[in-house]
Amino acid sequence: MIKYIIKLLFINFKLLLSMRQLITMLCLLVGISWASAQTKITGTVVSADDGQPAIGATVKVKGANVGSITNMDGAFTINVPANANTLVFSYVGMTSIELPAQNGMIVKMQSDAKQMNEVVVTALGIKRDKKTLTYASQQVGGDELRKASSLNFMDALSGQAAGIDIKTSSSGAGGSTKAILRGNKSLSGLSEPLYVIDGIPMVNNKHDQPGSYGGTDSGDGLSQINPNDIESINILKGANASILYGSLGANGVVLITTKKGKDAKVNVSFSSSLIFEKVSQLPDFQYSYGAVDGADRSWSSTKSDSYQKDYVKNFFQTGLNTVNSISITSGGPKTQLYFSYANTTAKGTMPTNTYNKNNFTFNSSTKLLNDKMTVSSGIIFAQETTKNRPGAGYYNNPLTGLYLFPRERDFNSYKTNYSVLDGNRNLNVMNWFSTEEKQNNPYWILNEDSKLDKTKRVIANLKASYDISKHLKFEIRGNIDYADKLQDYRYAAGSNTVDVDATGKWVYASYNDQSIYTDGILNYNNKFGDLSVTGLLGASYQKNTYSNGMSANSHSGTGLIYPNYFALQNLPPEAIIQSTTDRSIKQGAFANVQLGYKDMVYLDLSGRNDWASTLALTGNDSYFYPAVGFTGILSQMVKMPEAISFAKVRASWSNTANDVPFNKIVKWSTVGSASGISYNYPGVAPFTYLKPEMITSNEIGTEWRFLGGRIGVEFTYYYDVSKDQFVEVPASSGSGYDTQFLNVGKLVNKGVELTINAEPFKTKNFSWKTSVNYSANKNKVVELIASDPNYVIGGNDEGFTSLIKAGGSFNDLYIYHFLRNSAGQIVLDANGKPQKDGTQTYAGNLNSKWNLGWSNTVSYKDFFMSVLITGKFGGVCISKTQAFLDNYGVSKATGDARDLGYVAVNAIQGTTAVTQMDPAAYYSTVGDRNGVMEPYVYSRTNVRLSQLSIGYNIDVKKLRLPLQDASVSLVGRDLFFFYKKAPFDPESAMSTSNSAQSNEIFSMPSSMYYGLNLKVNF
Amino acid sequence: MKKLIFAILILISVTACTSDFVSENQNPYTLSTELLLQDNNLLGGSFPRMFTNLSGVQVDDNLLNDCFARQMATGSDFAGGVNNTTYYPTWNTFWRERAYTIMSKSKFVIDKAKEYNVPIFENWAKLVRVLVMSKATAIYGPVIYSKYGTTTSSTILYDKESDLYNTFFAQLDTIQTAFKDKASYTGFKKFDGCYGGDMTMWSRLINSLRLRLAIRISKVAPELAKNQGEKALADDAGLIDDNKYNFTTSLIGDKFPLAMISLEWDDTRMDAAMESILVGLNDNRISKFFQPATDNTLYSDHPAYPYKGIRNGAYIANKDQHIKFSKINSSFTSMTSRKHFTAAETFFLKAEAALRGWAGAGDAKTDYETGVRLSFADWGAGGVDAYLADATSKPINYIDPKDARNNFTSRSTVTVAWNEADSPELKLEKIITQKWINTFTNSMEAWVDMRRTGYPKLPFNARNDSNDSWGIIAPNDFIKRMPFTPEERTSNAAGVADATTKLGGADKISTRLWWDTGASNF
Repeated sequence: MIKYIIKLLFINFKLLLSMRQLITMLCLLVGISWASAQTKITGTVVSADDGQPAIGATVKVKGANVGSITNMDGAFTINVPANANTLVFSYVGMTSIELPAQNGMIVKMQSDAKQMNEVVVTALGIKRDKKTLTYASQQVGGDELRKASSLNFMDALSGQAAGIDIKTSSSGAGGSTKAILRGNKSLSGLSEPLYVIDGIPMVNNKHDQPGSYGGTDSGDGLSQINPNDIESINILKGANASILYGSLGANGVVLITTKKGKDAKVNVSFSSSLIFEKVSQLPDFQYSYGAVDGADRSWSSTKSDSYQKDYVKNFFQTGLNTVNSISITSGGPKTQLYFSYANTTAKGTMPTNTYNKNNFTFNSSTKLLNDKMTVSSGIIFAQETTKNRPGAGYYNNPLTGLYLFPRERDFNSYKTNYSVLDGNRNLNVMNWFSTEEKQNNPYWILNEDSKLDKTKRVIANLKASYDISKHLKFEIRGNIDYADKLQDYRYAAGSNTVDVDATGKWVYASYNDQSIYTDGILNYNNKFGDLSVTGLLGASYQKNTYSNGMSANSHSGTGLIYPNYFALQNLPPEAIIQSTTDRSIKQGAFANVQLGYKDMVYLDLSGRNDWASTLALTGNDSYFYPAVGFTGILSQMVKMPEAISFAKVRASWSNTANDVPFNKIVKWSTVGSASGISYNYPGVAPFTYLKPEMITSNEIGTEWRFLGGRIGVEFTYYYDVSKDQFVEVPASSGSGYDTQFLNVGKLVNKGVELTINAEPFKTKNFSWKTSVNYSANKNKVVELIASDPNYVIGGNDEGFTSLIKAGGSFNDLYIYHFLRNSAGQIVLDANGKPQKDGTQTYAGNLNSKWNLGWSNTVSYKDFFMSVLITGKFGGVCISKTQAFLDNYGVSKATGDARDLGYVAVNAIQGTTAVTQMDPAAYYSTVGDRNGVMEPYVYSRTNVRLSQLSIGYNIDVKKLRLPLQDASVSLVGRDLFFFYKKAPFDPESAMSTSNSAQSNEIFSMPSSMYYGLNLKVNF
Repeated sequence: MKKLIFAILILISVTACTSDFVSENQNPYTLSTELLLQDNNLLGGSFPRMFTNLSGVQVDDNLLNDCFARQMATGSDFAGGVNNTTYYPTWNTFWRERAYTIMSKSKFVIDKAKEYNVPIFENWAKLVRVLVMSKATAIYGPVIYSKYGTTTSSTILYDKESDLYNTFFAQLDTIQTAFKDKASYTGFKKFDGCYGGDMTMWSRLINSLRLRLAIRISKVAPELAKNQGEKALADDAGLIDDNKYNFTTSLIGDKFPLAMISLEWDDTRMDAAMESILVGLNDNRISKFFQPATDNTLYSDHPAYPYKGIRNGAYIANKDQHIKFSKINSSFTSMTSRKHFTAAETFFLKAEAALRGWAGAGDAKTDYETGVRLSFADWGAGGVDAYLADATSKPINYIDPKDARNNFTSRSTVTVAWNEADSPELKLEKIITQKWINTFTNSMEAWVDMRRTGYPKLPFNARNDSNDSWGIIAPNDFIKRMPFTPEERTSNAAGVADATTKLGGADKISTRLWWDTGASNF
């Protein structure tokens, strides 16, 4: 009960506070002057090492709470009150100094190489000195993420940090991202990290994903974050780092710190980017051989040069992404504000696909009660509208009809006349030559099937911290993350009847996702001689209500009552309109103590107890797990050679327990079809013996810095074991039940992460910074179901199987290979066709073995350039598209083979060796979804120029512009591959589900991006 | 200090409260037992879906018994043309689907009916089990039946066929007694898309089903068959002896499967044997079953009958090749129910029973002709008098205009008209040939008859991909059964090993079932 009162208090308090802050901000904008009698001082701050200006250094008047920040030239202006004289200069990586104020002063700041103090944000938003951490974490600055103007910050993060494997959506703007830290740890879950904004977990739900039979990615929560709001991202790679988030953080955490107001004058910055998107990864086609007798497949052996050639290329348009954003920071000693607005509009390469997003962000903080109390709040509002986001798979996909189109036919006539009147029905139906399940007129799909996704989201938080004493601080936070979602996919009457009923098909869902989070933390910090003690004690409460709303799909079989009328009242009685919900409560109590001795050794102890509603009735709903970590700073212990500035070793061990999904313990029946009298018995008995899943993480690491910090090396080795995994498996067919739940399995992920940073050149005019991130992960499924050693998770997806099996690795690919004799020859059947093996056999793993990111930043006078090269090495990928293109005789390979007159094979028929095969006989046997998949498995190794930006800082003073600074840059993403063997981009995910990795089934061809970026600071 | 205490108090209060966890973890939009008890939905609500699941759809009906019994054939080169229809088991889901859609749901009904003491629903659920498992055993032989849902061990034993049929008959006895005791019970009406809750109809079905199963085992267990058959014929509740008593199940809004597979997916067509027999015998039911082929060059061998079928186990180049062959009649798109037992079948069963000398079976000729008349009436076809009188028309030979390797000479030379002078063997061939035609869209029993009696004399596969791993089917023979399902072979290996000994042969498609003796019919 008490917690509801607290919650109510939070909400009301927040409202009051927001009002107050709004008024404060308005006052500020109107321009209220803060000071009275004062002196205006200007000066410049430079680095003592190289004389370079220190950009963004903080200048404060000692004892007066007046502050400023240096500009691009290191220059500052500050109003010093009459009663003060000393200025305090501070800058990241440099030793703070105090100097008497003097107009025209030049301040030389010394590099802080000895100290190497780097404050990083850790779990729960707690700031820690990086050198004391007992686990690996890596920080990426917001500017790094913005360099190439990605619409989704996660796309930009790829290659920027070791150990995070990111696959971007192939379905364009607003599509979902799949990110995995240190390998797949969960048999049935997605193993995705927790995303945290300013210390508080955010919702990142995924709903629909496409598969072989079609479908559309319905996005996730990440695209709703405005990249311009991000100050920095810190990646906590293992459970060791994230134990304070409990099970939520079992797969690692991506901590997002948003920009805040500063104690300085009003700063307005504006940035604008215009990025073109062009399809760059189209399959290779032939346009010289058509079909015979009006067939669907282009298997004529007669060549013609008169067929249409460019319709595939011309089908796609040049996409255009524009982002305009403005941010205002303002503040005084007591109150600081940050406000931003961004508008994103995108037009995809698929015609009719558009994306529109508006972001508002407002952060504020105020000091009260003699600066003992700080109250801060933040509101993020995002509104996202996506139209016709491209799908994948066989059904209702424009690309199938486009690619497979028989070459002798007139494509343009189908383009113009994509619909024809059905006189009997008096409605327009699709005009297409084939009724195959995957065949559609692409223009019919584009124009008649409309898909709409809408999200309106608010993330609002309130934090209050109070310094109880010098050593004790109490902090309480509350957050609401609320998103209103609409999915409205309409498929017109007259579409391909395999998936769309004669009267049309409708997929509709309207729901909200809501997460309420509150925590209270008591922080303690003290020093007793050589011993330092940092500790915290806290509790959190989180209540999630997801998919809260309704969904209604037209009934397969009867469709809609009136054709093409998409409304609930037009659903036939067989259709089921569903109320949906998914909810969970998790309460946690946690504690952490860090003991430090002489700034050289640190011991970190943590523990957390969770209470999870999803384990109610099992007796296991309360569970505890500990973590322990150790850090030794070698450079403090022993005298190191001059070249070594810093050396540290660390080790940690942690246990994390994870609850199960909603409503698994006792299931009730659901309403079935048949006009309401049929219900669906769930087919499962109550499962009251479920336990939480358990992940044990071990890691050791070391960090070194050389030459005053100009070279830095970090290395980590980890060994994670996941056990007691929750799986829902089909019950034995004679058991009396349909499915059963089990706690099974043992998955091991082990690997290394290596990061090297260096600044090889640093002179007045020229500097070069470079950074290499390397990571390798090895996954092993040690055990799946002990009592059933042959059990596998994952089934045949029409031609391939991505499975999890004891003794293998996550996402092992199994396919049909050619049937070969012992000499390796393909065994042909009596008709001279290649045969496939009786069973599917191993063909490789769908995850890469090791990943590399290499980023470089070079500046020369006013020019700057950054280059990011990323590589993923090892593993395989599979393209079912290619298998279909071959089978239909439209791939370039089939054209080349016909030009040549045969396909070269190493085969045997009976006892006769065969070296040449008829192209039609070969490809129509090998291709398609059920052929021999062996030729369609490719190495997934790829190395690309991920990001490139070249820019120029405009000399605003010379041009006498009323600006502080301005820059313009040319940016490009995925411009080309240094190496790639697959016919598609393996890092572009058709789906973010576990089983559909590194494959491609008529998904959108990947793009390259290039454009212009403009930034202005007023 | 006061603030510190306050803060700690908050921390404690936040963590201690887990009393609402049970209700929070329950989906409020699902139906609790308490809600379902109202209006008897708990016990009755599973039935409509169980009835629709008595038969499968594509891989567990159309590409199984429809194809094996040569009523429909596919022109799609599924799995590279090597699949069930060419005797290489590719899809094998009948058992698993029925286990999860009928056996587990009927277990729930049986358990709850016992718990709430409403035995009539228990009997209904058991009747559904006999209906569906009598089909499953016709596919696999031994099935999990008496041990179903009784053990938590991973090994579950199968029932031997001879035991299984005894169990079926014994259960039918119990169910019949219970139903007769409650002949005026109306509590099932709401859930009964078959007979509108009329108990007397269900009693007719039980008798007819008993007769069907008795005929099925008439060669392997003649005494038991005769006893059970005569019991069915003598029962005062009667048989399904009029089309108004036909046992059909509501599709509850689903599409008629064959209409969907043929007309929308283009994956099934008229079988060449249907063309051979229906065209040859001038059978007017052909226009009720099928649509004319959409290319008039295809049926130039018999332009008066514009139909063309595909041979089962044919050489198929690609899906386009045979796409213009005869589809199922478009009237099936408006069907709202599916046939499982018709009056015509009863009379064909009686005709065979008469040949076997069972008491109460009546006269074979009358039964045979009544069966044909009821079938014509049921399918809405005319000209039955002339048809029954035709003693000369015979099935025709088949030509595949797309690939001559699929041509065949009709093995059957049967005519329609009854001739008392014919041998019992020829009479049986006529009866079973007519029974085969009548079972269109409900072909499981036709596949049983084919194996049991050898009739109708249907064409063999043109393409035969059977191999030693799943069993070799000789070029002049048909598939005998399906192997136990792959899931069972892995998760219940000991059960399957035991079942294989009960089967009496290897777990292959070439092993004969218990009632498929291979001996002569009389």
